[in-house]
Amino acid sequence: MSCGDPHETDCREVLAEVWLFLDNECDHERRRLLKRHLDECGPCLEEFGIDEHLKALLARKCGGDHAPDEFKQRLRDSIRGIMMRQAVLGAEVTVQEDDDGTIVEVEVRTSVESQDRVSREDRVSRER
Amino acid sequence: MSVEPTGSPEPEGSVVTETPEQRSARFERDAMPLLDQLYAAALRMTRHPADAEDLVQETYLKAYGAFGSFRAGTNLRAWLYRILTNTYINGYRKRQRQPVAQPTDEITDWQLAKAEQHTSSGLRSAEMEALDRLPDSDVTQALSPLAEDFRIAVYLADVEGFAYKEIAEMMGTPIGTVMSRLHRGRKQLRDMLTGVARERGFLRDAEVAS
Repeated sequence: MSCGDPHETDCREVLAEVWLFLDNECDHERRRLLKRHLDECGPCLEEFGIDEHLKALLARKCGGDHAPDEFKQRLRDSIRGIMMRQAVLGAEVTVQEDDDGTIVEVEVRTSVESQDRVSREDRVSRER
Repeated sequence: MSVEPTGSPEPEGSVVTETPEQRSARFERDAMPLLDQLYAAALRMTRHPADAEDLVQETYLKAYGAFGSFRAGTNLRAWLYRILTNTYINGYRKRQRQPVAQPTDEITDWQLAKAEQHTSSGLRSAEMEALDRLPDSDVTQALSPLAEDFRIAVYLADVEGFAYKEIAEMMGTPIGTVMSRLHRGRKQLRDMLTGVARERGFLRDAEVAS
């Protein structure tokens, strides 16, 4: 489908790439071609405007939530707990996910006498 | 999956020594300011505040554990979103206890976009302005019923502004799949919002081209 006017780039091609343009995913040359088409073609520009509007609407309305302060405090406490254990034990604690999805803390002792790798399971996440 | 995303691992032999206190302070300074953003994303993914807290908590504990190998200068925000998305997708799929069907028509579907015409849109620009008057909750609610993978892709692209390549890495899929999910998700979202605007009386049926 075309708006009837002759364009360097076909309307269908432009409409298929409107989102690439809006998402900043096309190269400079392509962008220039699309932009020129939009300047010339009212129907394509209108379509472009709607998609542009939709993208801006989502960005404006969907991302502004704040985590509850109580939760932030609880998270800081958890991290502090891990940090204290690391400091006291002189151990390196990393958190990994096991094959079955269990959260496993892996301690690697860093003292010279003991290079033992101690693994222990510790469910960090709450049971659902 | 046994290997956590670790960003860019330190090159061998150049392990930075850092006391637990120093690491904790660095984490507090760099990662904690992103908590609200990650929470908002988790809320859109899980759709429930309690689940969002669990997801963010798990993400941050994993990130803290791997923070020693995270190299300064790489994109911390993208790294955290990657852990978040991985954790959610894996957790979600496990809770479902069934394999997630992979759409087989991804590329074809994407190419179908080429067949689109000017008149295919359910909304005209004048009506789009009516949507600005909708409360935030109407827009977030329109996002909710989208299929899981569509919802995540649209959120990461439109709200967080990540590039296709980054989203592909976060979701563990090829870029073509991301493009297809975005295309389908946005189309559904647009239809959904048209309906909401009509329900709210911001849009008369006659104004909707079909």
